[in-house]
Formats: sequence, structure tokens, C-alpha cells
Amino acid sequence: MMPDEPTVLFHKEGAVGRLVLNRPGVINAFDVQMRDDLYAALEAVRDDPDIRAALISGAGDRGFCAGADLTEFGTAPSQVIARQVRWERDLWGLFGSIRKPLVAALHGYVIGSGVEIACLCDMRVASQDTIFRMPETALGMVPAAGGSQTLPRTIGQGPAMSMLLANEALDAQDALRLGLVHRVVERDRLEEASLELAERLSEIPPELSAGIKRAVADGLDMSLARGLELEYRLAGAVAARSVSN
Amino acid sequence: MSVQLEISEHIAVITFASSEAGNLIGFETAYSLSDAATEVRQRDDVWAAVLNARGDDFCLGTSPEVLDAVVDGGSAPDALRVGQTLADIEKPVVCAIQGVALDQGLEVALACDLRIADGDATFAMTQALSGSMPWDGGTQRLPRLIGRSRAMDMLLTGRRVAAGEAMELGLVNEVVERGKASERAMELASLIAGHGPVALRYLKEAVLDGVDGTLEQGLRLEADLSFLLQSTEDRSEGISSFLERRSPTYRGR
Repeated sequence: MMPDEPTVLFHKEGAVGRLVLNRPGVINAFDVQMRDDLYAALEAVRDDPDIRAALISGAGDRGFCAGADLTEFGTAPSQVIARQVRWERDLWGLFGSIRKPLVAALHGYVIGSGVEIACLCDMRVASQDTIFRMPETALGMVPAAGGSQTLPRTIGQGPAMSMLLANEALDAQDALRLGLVHRVVERDRLEEASLELAERLSEIPPELSAGIKRAVADGLDMSLARGLELEYRLAGAVAARSVSN
Repeated sequence: MSVQLEISEHIAVITFASSEAGNLIGFETAYSLSDAATEVRQRDDVWAAVLNARGDDFCLGTSPEVLDAVVDGGSAPDALRVGQTLADIEKPVVCAIQGVALDQGLEVALACDLRIADGDATFAMTQALSGSMPWDGGTQRLPRLIGRSRAMDMLLTGRRVAAGEAMELGLVNEVVERGKASERAMELASLIAGHGPVALRYLKEAVLDGVDGTLEQGLRLEADLSFLLQSTEDRSEGISSFLERRSPTYRGR
């Protein structure tokens, strides 16, 4: 890899913002530089009105993301500073604040923060050869990119506990059965199938996809009664906009 | 003694065998299980636990003597809520299920973190059939575990669910050959006890408390626990062992 090559490649393909995790030599292990590059790319996805959906994938043959780059952990600052930085540059919160459909294209190793990034997307396509694993507790850690929250909400508490406590690995078919991915394809079809999905989602009127994302994500955090109110209000706003257009 | 507690190599094994047929939970079993759960919770050298039962069936529910006490005004002692006392253990608990897990028997299993079932095990919540309802966590834990619609089916119809379907529902984590559930639960507990013990406790707290709040609150909890964990020796050991390509040795601090 060129020394100055960005750890996240970003370009637009029509209405789809494409983000590629780009440290293939270390299976796209997540490091501080990648955090900053991913943050910048996601801000562009959020702010560019021409982008109506985004697709996140990983460079190289071996996998989407092998997890946090542990070689960096010895250099971590104090817990006080680490906590401050976590919320100053809240990458995982930024994912949640994007009201456009996010798609993850997964292949090979999807480990730790790789799983967590995927869970922060709305839809996930995986190739047959994908392996999912959450090894944090085996390493004396807990997930720190939302995995203890997003994984149970995505696949249910029981299967999530198998992955989180017992480091159980899932293959692509397990992941499909549990709802961790929406579709499984052959490796040589991953690029095409995931881009096709992202393009299809980019054709949904932006206020509509934003309304659905808000209703589902915010609604799940509320009592049913309040969620129903939110849905009704959002649907009204979407309808009013499509009439005025 | 209806409940045995054995602790070795950081694993606590709770085995219960009620004097009543079908391992019905009577006063003695309930109090002994609660005592065992309390000891497991308090012992720092316990990093993971297994709950299993002797006999053909895991547990067919509550003994009539206890049911009478629970129904009488709802002022039964807390220790009768065995599921609750087990759920209070902050460490991972693996449950092995053979035969039938019925009513409170199933509620007790639901209070554990992982469930391993024999291939011929069956599960049901039949309280509604006799005009009562679950009182040891069933109406709360079952929907959270398998989803509202499937939980309604089980709770309202009281139908029996076989091991294969239980696996599809997410009610159990693994189905093994008949007679092997305890062995497999022990294996899993040993594997889990090889992980960072503080990390395991924090993970359990993050997942169980996290799903009860908003996503944002859950993310805050997870982040704070992960920063707190950075102060432990175990976390440094985990990272060094990974970088040095060796197995970690955790100490629980």
C-alpha cells in the first residue's frame, strides 16, 4: 500500500456513495486513521444531496474487516482522554444520524468491529465465504462500536449471546437464517448484487427513506403508543411533501 | 439435598434434583437454588456457571405447595422466584435441558444466558391452560428472547415446542444428541471461563441492561464499560497475548 493512500476510499457512482475500507494488507483492520477517514466519508454521505444511498465494502480478497487493529492499543491514551475522544468524534453515532439507506457488502472475515460496522448499516449482502465472529471477551474486552447493543437488536438476544460470550462463529448461511444478512451471493456476484441493491434504495424518494429509517429506528426506542404517533406524523409530512412537489 | 453446588477451575455447576417427580420446584428446591445462586454471584473465583438437573426431565414447573403460596395474595418470598435469583448472577450462566422444561422450569431456563438442549427436549408455557399466568419472568423474558408474535403463540396456546423448533425460534442456542446437553454445557462454560472474566460480566450487563433502554443509552453504557475495562490487567493481557500469538491467562482484575 502507498504510505499516503487513504484508509477509506470514497467516490460517487450515480446517486450511490461508495466507501471502501482500504487496508487490505491487514484485512482492513480498523485503526485511528480509518476512524477519521470513515468519519469524513460518512459526513460527505450525510451532507451531499446528490447521494441518496451508500454502499460500504472492504478492499482485498481476504475480508471486509478483521476488527480493531490491536497493534495500536498499546499507544492508547488514558481512559479519561479515550472517553473524551470517543464522544468528540462519535463515528458510530454518525452512522445512526444518516437518514439515507446504508448497505454493507461483506466477504471473507467480518470480525469484531467489522460486524459492528455492518450492524450499523440498514441492509447487508454477504458472499458465501463470509465468516462472522465477535472475539472481544476472549481478548478481555467488550465490543466498543455498539456491538453489545446492535447485535442483539439485529439477530435477537439468544444468538447474540452465543457470539458475544462464547465467541461462536457464523457462516453466511447462519447469518442469513438469523437475519444478520439479507442476502447471500457467490463471491464473484457480491459487487454487482450489493451495488444493485444500493442503487435500488437510492431511487426511493429521500424524504421517504428518511421517514422510514426514523420511524423504525426511533420507534424501536419508544413505547408502541409513541412510536405509532411518530409514524403517523412522519407519514403526514412525507405525504404533504409529495403533494407540494 | 436437592441442590448441589460444585466449584472448580472458575466454573460453578449447580445441579438440582427435587424429591418430587419431574423436578417440581417446591420450597426446599427453591430456597436451595436461591442460596446456590447467591453463592455463585458472590464468589470472585467463579467466572462462569452451569445449571443442570438430574432425572429424565429438566423441570416440570412449580410444586403445588409453592403455587398455593404464590397465588395467596402474591406475597410469596422473593426466593421462590428462582428465575429471578438466577438472573441476578452477573456472570454467564449456561443451562442444560433434557426431557421437558415446563412452566417455571422453562422460566428458570430463560433466566440463563445460553441454553443447550437434548435433541428430544420439549418446551412449553402451559399456565394459561389452567387459568393462571407465568410469574417468574415468562411474560417478559420469552418475548424479548423469541419475539412478541412467537411468544404470544406459546403463552396463549400452551403448545409444546420440540428442540428443533426451539432452535429455529432462538429459544435455545444449541441442540445436541440426547443425553449430551450437560456435557456440552460444561464444554461451553469452560470455553467461556477462558475469556476475560471482567469483560464477560460487563458484556452481560451491557446486553441485558442495554436492550431495556434506548439505543443511545445502550451505546453510552457499552462505551463507559469498555473504558472502565481499559483499567484492568486482563484487558492488557488479552491484547498482549493476541499480539504474541499465545493463549491469555486472565486473573479477574
